[in-house]
Amino acid sequence: MSRAGRLPDALERGRAASNLADPVEVVIRASGVQKVYGRSSSEEGGVAALRGVDVVVASCEWTAIVGPSGCGKSTLLNVLAGIDAPTAGTVELLGNDLGRLDERARARLRLLRVGFVFQRFHLLPVLTAAENIELPMAEAGVARRDRRQRSRELLDFVGLGGRTDHRPPQLSGGEQQRVAIARAVANQPDVVFADEPTGELDSRTSAQILELFSSLNAHGTTLLTVTHDPEIARRARRVIEMSDGRIVSDGRPAR
Amino acid sequence: MIVRASLRGLLHHRGRTLLALAGIGVSSALLVDMTMLASGLTHSFAALTRAQGYPVRVTPAGTLPFDSEAGISEAAAVSQQLREVPGVRSVAPVLGAQLYLVRSDSASEPLFTSGIDPAAQMLYLLVEGEEPGDDEIVVSGPLAEALGISVGDTVSLAVELDVALGRPRGSASYRISGVGDFLFNYAGERSVALPLARLQEITGRSDEVSLFAVAPAADADEEALVERISAAAPELSAYSTRDLTAALDQRLAYFRQLSTILGSISFGVATLLVATIVTIGVRERFGEIATLRAIGVAGHRVQIGIVVEGLALSAGGALLGLPIGLWMARRLDQILLTFPGIPARVSFFVFDGISVALAITLMVGIGALVGVIPGAQALRAPLGSALREEAD
Repeated sequence: MSRAGRLPDALERGRAASNLADPVEVVIRASGVQKVYGRSSSEEGGVAALRGVDVVVASCEWTAIVGPSGCGKSTLLNVLAGIDAPTAGTVELLGNDLGRLDERARARLRLLRVGFVFQRFHLLPVLTAAENIELPMAEAGVARRDRRQRSRELLDFVGLGGRTDHRPPQLSGGEQQRVAIARAVANQPDVVFADEPTGELDSRTSAQILELFSSLNAHGTTLLTVTHDPEIARRARRVIEMSDGRIVSDGRPAR
Repeated sequence: MIVRASLRGLLHHRGRTLLALAGIGVSSALLVDMTMLASGLTHSFAALTRAQGYPVRVTPAGTLPFDSEAGISEAAAVSQQLREVPGVRSVAPVLGAQLYLVRSDSASEPLFTSGIDPAAQMLYLLVEGEEPGDDEIVVSGPLAEALGISVGDTVSLAVELDVALGRPRGSASYRISGVGDFLFNYAGERSVALPLARLQEITGRSDEVSLFAVAPAADADEEALVERISAAAPELSAYSTRDLTAALDQRLAYFRQLSTILGSISFGVATLLVATIVTIGVRERFGEIATLRAIGVAGHRVQIGIVVEGLALSAGGALLGLPIGLWMARRLDQILLTFPGIPARVSFFVFDGISVALAITLMVGIGALVGVIPGAQALRAPLGSALREEAD
């Protein structure tokens, strides 16, 4: 690992406790998932982004979803994460049937057990790096003292220990993405969804981000990554290739 | 932390926030002024009417005080009759007349003159000297200042003016016993008061008064007293302060309408300003809001942040508007009180803490609530689409 530090003890302890309390072998189970955009929910009247996707993701996997633009990768990620609702089919996330949860319960599930990393970082520009990381912890009810300590540990972990009080506009793209990763794992999630996490970064910075993902996965975080980056696809343990709203291949990456 | 982010967002857009605060501040100032104007004159007039402890007026039937030339005859008997009404502590007769100030054998200026009972009067507060005896008068401050006269000096007053010759008729000299602050005078008004009997004598209005002011006993109810007076003297009209202010309200209905219309406009402008700024802010932060939702922040928590933004803007603007409004009210009062015939002691703009607080609270509350609609729209937007839109 070039710049990433050791995963914070708190995160590892949290994971151990989480696994003991609620062991989940299958993190995601999707069956017959369809997603149609447009005024009509039928495939004939709208734009079909997903055409009957079945996928199972096991705990501790690092899965990369690849495919050409518009093939439905991001839509699948959003549906599996409970951000978008499927037009048809079922999605089980961490043992919860998302179709049976209301928005409040889905939000709570995302807050406590899921992390997100976006292509454009999506940090709050008016908050400092540390505050951005503290935000999900504050919403989860973590005490101020604990979240301060953990945010500093996480900033050290992503190699930004000296940037605690910097705001996103004062950080480079790579630094912002590292803060976003720290935010994603702040509540010790079981799974992290990443949508083109290196899409806005140069190759050197991308490599640093990949190191962080590797480290997280090595410590037991399940990763599901949508990417065009062949390096991510190479580093993932499993690659799902999509085309035209369908999975066309699913297996280990070519090394 | 959500609230902190919202407040920092306002600081982040300093220019826009300052402009919004200035706009809301000016609207709030106008709202404060209109609230003060809506009931200011009534409150102020009521306070003035009660100032000397004589809140009840008894006048010739069907007339308001000094509303006509009509007088009450057999004043001494009526006065005695009023004193005997249960609950009456004191009766102050007043006769209004016009005398002329005589200077160098020419009548230079008409003076409003009041005949009063020096032992029971409610027209003025003595600034210096004492109540008038026979052939003595109390002059108003502006008159004393204008003529350079003081207690002990003598002035000549005439009852009539020969228009053809421009000369006074029936003039007599009076010693100044005191200088008074005449409560019902307009700014700078020159007037005098002298004993009732003397004024009745020189004007030929024997045993006549223009009105009686009645002071109730400490435990007497004002409205009940008016009813008893009306029963005891049905040929006269009796008014409580409430009746008088109601009559004033009726006459000055246009002030209330004006203040209602302008107050509503300022209220609307302030609300629109807050709504516009918050809506722009929400629209700009559409992606941020989507991110917050995506990472699991509950919708109501996001909404709180948006509401706090509206609340901060409207409360900040209101705080700014309050001193501006009070300053404007003072300036406008000074201008309006220069109009002739308006007692200098009244005020068009009276600070009624409860009314002003209610208006400001309503404005701040509405300001906060206007954030709910754009907030709800942002929260209702499909999350996946919102994130994609932000990424694009």
